[in-house]
This record gives sequence, C-alpha cells and structure tokens, in this order.
Amino acid sequence: MIVIGEKINGTRKAVGNAIRARDKQLIQDLAKHQVDAGSDFLDVNAGTPRDREPDDMVWLVETIQEVCETPLCLDTANPKALLAGLKQVRFPTMVNSVTGEKPRIDGILPLACEFKTNVILLPIDDGGIPKTSNSRMVIIEELVNLAKGGGLLEEQLYIDPLAIAISTGTEGALVTFDTIRKIREMYPKAHVTIGLSNISFGMPLRSIINQSFLSMLVLSGLDSAIMNPNDRLLKGTMLASEMLVNKDRHCQTFSRAYRSGALNIHEK
Amino acid sequence: MDIQLLKEAVVEMQEEKALSLTKQYIEEGADPVSLFQVYQDALVEIGKRYEQEIYFIPELMMAGEIMNAASELIKPLLAEGPEEAKNKKGKVLIATVQGDIHDIGKNIVTMMMDLNGFEVKDIGVDVSKDRIIAEAEAFGADIIGLSGLLTLAFDPMKEVVEELKVQGLRDKYKVLIGGGQMDENICSYTGADAFTTDAIAGINMCKAWMERVS
Repeated sequence: MIVIGEKINGTRKAVGNAIRARDKQLIQDLAKHQVDAGSDFLDVNAGTPRDREPDDMVWLVETIQEVCETPLCLDTANPKALLAGLKQVRFPTMVNSVTGEKPRIDGILPLACEFKTNVILLPIDDGGIPKTSNSRMVIIEELVNLAKGGGLLEEQLYIDPLAIAISTGTEGALVTFDTIRKIREMYPKAHVTIGLSNISFGMPLRSIINQSFLSMLVLSGLDSAIMNPNDRLLKGTMLASEMLVNKDRHCQTFSRAYRSGALNIHEK
Repeated sequence: MDIQLLKEAVVEMQEEKALSLTKQYIEEGADPVSLFQVYQDALVEIGKRYEQEIYFIPELMMAGEIMNAASELIKPLLAEGPEEAKNKKGKVLIATVQGDIHDIGKNIVTMMMDLNGFEVKDIGVDVSKDRIIAEAEAFGADIIGLSGLLTLAFDPMKEVVEELKVQGLRDKYKVLIGGGQMDENICSYTGADAFTTDAIAGINMCKAWMERVS
C-alpha cells in the first residue's frame, strides 16, 4: 500500500497558522511523525490565498526537505504555486491533482508532464462529480490518454475513483468500488488512490466508517490512500486488509508491524 | 388532529406513521395550513437535534424526503383554499462560486431552506460573479448564499461582494458564505455579512435577518 500522509495541509487551523508564522518546528515534526509511521509520500497543501501560495509552497517544500527525503505530493490547483514547488523538489514527486476541468488540464497537467512526476487523476468535470462509474470512466480515459500523450507512464498515474459522503446517499460507496474494478481492468499498471475520509463526512463515529470503507476498497483493488498514517486503527485495518487479499506474504508486514508496536492501539 | 403525535412521528423519522396520520387527518378535515405548521415545527426540532449531534446529515436528508411526501398530500388542498400558502419567509439565491464544483453542502442548505419556508433558487456550481448578480436581480433575492469548499473559493466570493459594491447593489442583499473552511477571517476578507460552516446555523441566520426586515 502506498500511503500519502495528509497532515501538512494549510486548511487545518494549526498548520495554516504555522505557515503564516513560518514555524518550521511544527511542519518538520508533522513531516517526521508521518514518515516514521510509514508514509511513502507527504501531501503538501499550503491552503493559502492565491497571491501568497507560491511563496508558501516553496517555504513548505524547503522546510520539509531539511528533515526528510520522503517524496512530496504537491497539492494545489494553482499552476504558479505548483511550478514554484516543483523547482525546489529534490526527490521524485507527485502532483495532486488533475481533473477534467479545463484550468487543471491546461495549467496543472503540462507541469506534471514536464517534470515527469507521478500525478493524481480525478474524474471530475465542469458538471461536478459524475454519479455513475461509467461516466467517471469517460473522464478517467480522457485524462489517462492526455497524461500518456504528455509522456507519463501508466505506473506514474494515481487514479482516484472518488468517494461521495455516505450521509448524502447510501448508494455512493458502491459506485466507488465499481469504478475501482473498472480502472483495474483498463489500466492494470496504474495505481488507485483515494482521499479516504470524505466518505464519513456528516456522520458520527467516522473512524469506524473509514476503516470499514478502507477494507472494502482494498478488496476492490485500491493500492494507495491519502490518509492519516498516525491513526493506528486505520493503519491496522489497512495492513490486515492487504493480508486478507493475499498481498502480504506469510503475513510478514502485518506481523512486523505488530512486533514493532506500531499497531498497539492502547498507546498514544 | 393530534398535533403532538404527528410531530413526534416526523421528528423520530417514522415516515409511514407520519404519512398515514397526515392522510387520516386530511380525511377528517384538518386545516392544511395547520398540518404544514406541524411539519415546520417538527423540522425545527430536527434541526435542534442536529445541532446537539443527536442527529446527523442522514436525518436531514430523510426529513427532506418525509417533507416532500407530505407536501404531495397537503399541497392539492392548499391550492383550493383561500389561505395564503406561499407565505414565504424570504428569497434566497444560492450558488457554488466560480472555480469550485462542490455541491453537497449547497444542496443540503437548499433543501433545508426550502423546507423552512424560504423561496430558494439554486443556480448550480462554478457560477461566475456576473451570473450570480444577474440572477439575484432577476429573482428579487433578499439573500445571496455563496458556497465553496476549496480555499480557491475565497477570492471569487470576495469578487462577488466587490462587484455588488461597484454596481451599487451591496445594501440590497445580505451575503452569506458557507463551507467547511469558513471562519471570521475569511468572512471579513470576502466582505460578506456572515459565514456558516453548518446548514442549520446558516438557516437560523437567514431567519433572523428576515425577521428584522419584516
């Protein structure tokens, strides 16, 4: 499982304040904690207004790279901020994200192609999020073709099937599972990732919902997630799910995680 | 008509019971406006439970479905009666601003506004400032609701408010911004009258504004 740690996001209050105050310590601690918990990528979202976002992105990238070599996932819809960040990145990287909306196709995708990065593709267009898996696949096909045409390899593509809040319609998760199966069939080398927590928006006991959802996603073919890597229950669910679908030889990843104490849910 | 029994059925999400009671009361000759009022009162209670985190978004969605089913039963009677059925609380134009396509929050607010007696016009997602203002003018809105989840939405929200000023229309409308990221800083940055992160709280604000006007 390829884990993209979600915590360095300026739309979270404490992180937003740290970005404005140029508080290196808080950002570097967040980076290190997420890396220690097994993050393969660190998402970096400045979440600040357009005019200052490029400077904030550069500062974040430099600050994080001072303490770790984990690849970054630059999370922005602003081409100027993305370009500024990409110029500072020292390790292989990811771009989050390209949708079927024109500004993203014109502004974000060419930068991913130019810098040969991994890229997250989302089946969203000007009409919003399509309701059926077939209509999501139409956008995904268009984006995959554009990305490949721009020189990216299929294995550099991280396709997000999208999850709609279950509180607003109980048929939504089934569409997500169905979309994953179709992506797997058409693009066997591509990765399937997801922003996990959206599913439980507007519900109590969100962690139970997120865990159950993750296990079903793994069964459908998910091999990456944008998530909180420090959530031990979620991490345990992830490792157990992979084990249960024959992706963990002799259960060694799960067992090692147990022995290391990383899954000890009674500790903080 | 047992008002308490019906109200309780609606509040407790007992759809079949609520609808069969409604049918029964209609057959017994109950006043349709009073029937509607019971549902409105039930909705207020549901909103309170939502704010107390006893209920969550699914209960708001379900309340919407129960209300719509009840309206089907009650509306035909209202059309015949002399009673003023469309005594709406106020007119709200709502849109997700340009650059953002999130619509879950907007759709819930639209539904809850409608159920709470507002006349609501939802003009969709990714809407330009010019179209928002033109639609608000044509609709005769009292309130403009601007929705957005992304930080990218802040500037388009600000632009709507500024364009209202340029056109000399700022005082005509109350502007409410809504979305998960909204706070006081963003509210003052955009120049909106108020912000909300929560459908029920937003509706209560709009109710308070309209009461002050009337």
